[in-house]
Amino acid sequence: MAAEPIVVIRELTKSYLQGDLNVIALNGVSLDIQSGEFVVLMGPSGSGKSTLLHIIAGIDRPTSGSAMIQGINIANLNESQLADWRNQNVGFVFQSFNLIPVLTAAENVELPLLLTDLSAAERRKQVATALELVGLADRGHHRPDQLSGGQQQRAAIARALVTDPALIVADEPTGNLDAKSAGDVLAILQSLSRDAGKTVIMVTHDPKSAAYGSRSLHLEKGEITA
Amino acid sequence: MTLASFVVKNALRNRRRALLTVVSVAISCGLLVTLLTLQRELTIPPESEAASLRIIARNKVSLAQPLPAKQLSIIEKIPGVVAASPFTYYGGLFREETFTSFAQFAVDPPRFRNLIVEGRVSEGSYDDFINDRTSCFVGADTMKRYGLKIGDRMRFTGTFYPVDLDLKIVAVYQGTVDDRGVFFHHKLLDELMGNPGTVGTWYLRVASAQASNEVIARVNDAFANTSAEVRAETERAFQMGFISMLGNVKLLIGSVSTVVVFTLMLVTVSTMSMAVRERFRELAVLKALGFRRRELFSFILAESFGLALVGGALGIFGAWALWTGIDLQKLTSGFLLYFEVTPRIMATGGVVAVFLGIFSSISPSIAVARLSVVQGLKTLD
Ligand SMILES: Nc1ncnc2c1ncn2[C@@H]1O[C@H](COP(=O)(O)OP(=O)(O)OP(=O)(O)O)[C@@H](O)[C@H]1O
Ligand SMILES: [Mg+2]
Repeated sequence: MAAEPIVVIRELTKSYLQGDLNVIALNGVSLDIQSGEFVVLMGPSGSGKSTLLHIIAGIDRPTSGSAMIQGINIANLNESQLADWRNQNVGFVFQSFNLIPVLTAAENVELPLLLTDLSAAERRKQVATALELVGLADRGHHRPDQLSGGQQQRAAIARALVTDPALIVADEPTGNLDAKSAGDVLAILQSLSRDAGKTVIMVTHDPKSAAYGSRSLHLEKGEITA
Repeated sequence: MTLASFVVKNALRNRRRALLTVVSVAISCGLLVTLLTLQRELTIPPESEAASLRIIARNKVSLAQPLPAKQLSIIEKIPGVVAASPFTYYGGLFREETFTSFAQFAVDPPRFRNLIVEGRVSEGSYDDFINDRTSCFVGADTMKRYGLKIGDRMRFTGTFYPVDLDLKIVAVYQGTVDDRGVFFHHKLLDELMGNPGTVGTWYLRVASAQASNEVIARVNDAFANTSAEVRAETERAFQMGFISMLGNVKLLIGSVSTVVVFTLMLVTVSTMSMAVRERFRELAVLKALGFRRRELFSFILAESFGLALVGGALGIFGAWALWTGIDLQKLTSGFLLYFEVTPRIMATGGVVAVFLGIFSSISPSIAVARLSVVQGLKTLD
């Protein structure tokens, strides 16, 4: 018996007014995602993958329709409630890593924890655990420019999971990586969903990457086709 | 890591820019403090210093117009006047010099003695000066500069007066704000000029600084509606008269200060805007991670505040140390007496620095408030 889905999306639309033109990025998307799934979003450029991911992650708002995450309609949260919600429930992995260059890997990972009530010692422990999980235990004191792309992306994954969020979203996380590093990153994301029970939603263009997921969705012109 | 250390790391990430900002704020704040100190110096009420105890009375028409010598008896009777002496600028050229590098004045030696408030006779004797009609009383700095000693002669060629002087040094003074001047007998000048019965100015001493304004008014009144009306003012005001002639100094300094503050504002505002703009993407990432607007605001504010305050403190205390450390009175021959960087002026500089910190974070804060995470993530590094 399946539990309540963690993500419930109904008739979601997103449109942008560009001059006189109404650009429709999402056109009535409905979708359920179960807890612990590793969902891969695919589709041509401009099909609305990132837009959908952003709305689920609470950094963008839909034009109409609803996005319930863990039973909360995030469209009803105000800016600062949404910020808190993201901090506690979502981990982000971006294509271009987006680590803060002046901070070490460990400090980057610690960043989301600064918003929590955890003590310095507790924070250190969680940072160490997260870095361990992505195989960077010995690289914590290195700055991003002292790490390879793959290592930077693994640090970014550590940052995404250090708050122990239910949801991890990744927008083309292997887009800037060589095949070997991409494989490492995908394996980590896969184990997060399989072994740690995280729900992972990943956008990718690469069918080989898609193979790591437990389910693939195709978007075309703002609609789910498969 | 704490939020505070994160702010510090961010502020110092571009070391050169941080340094340049701090330095430009420091220089501008130092300049501002200096200007305010100068303004205070030039408009300070002349109290409690010897220079404000002395009054110079000159012809109302112009400094170049002489005054009748017979005014002395009237001046000496004015209540509040403790001492008075003729005081005539001779302005001759010493030896072969082509410009007047120190002043010479014709005075009445017995009377002039009572006008010297500060300073002392360091060599020779003042009585010798009084007794010898062709002697002179010379400042120690001039003695030293020309390697002179008691008994030497000083020859001057007249420029303003068509007569030359040959004076014998009999006494030396030291410890005034300007130990350079040479004083000689007015009687000698009178004789050489054929006793015209005039003096250049009157030099008076009043009993107290509080009384000086009253005495000034009385002196002016005493000769009102005569053929030689006088204009009396404190020695200090007399010196300042030279700058005041250039225009409204206070206004001038005020406008320069405003320009300094305005320029300073442009510098810090553009620095902070740049610092924030090039970090848009990072700020968007921080937002995505759950940082709220007010946290990002406080990062920006703390950073611009930090830079402005460090720069301000360096500039303000630097100016204070500089102006306290060097003897401006000596350097400017007594023109700048106190040049005191008061706590009030330093506080004004501090307020400007604080204001800068706040002001320069306004536009970046607005930009960050408007920043949507999605837009911010799209910005390229
Ligand atoms: N801020 C915006 N203003 C106008 N149109 C936008 C804006 N953001 C996205 N769009 C449009 O919405 C559509 C979907 O964009 P989205 O970024 O979701 O595509 P995508 O599937 O992620 O593409 P890609 O694979 O290239 O990343 C596109 O047509 C895009 O031009
Ligand atoms: Mg995209």
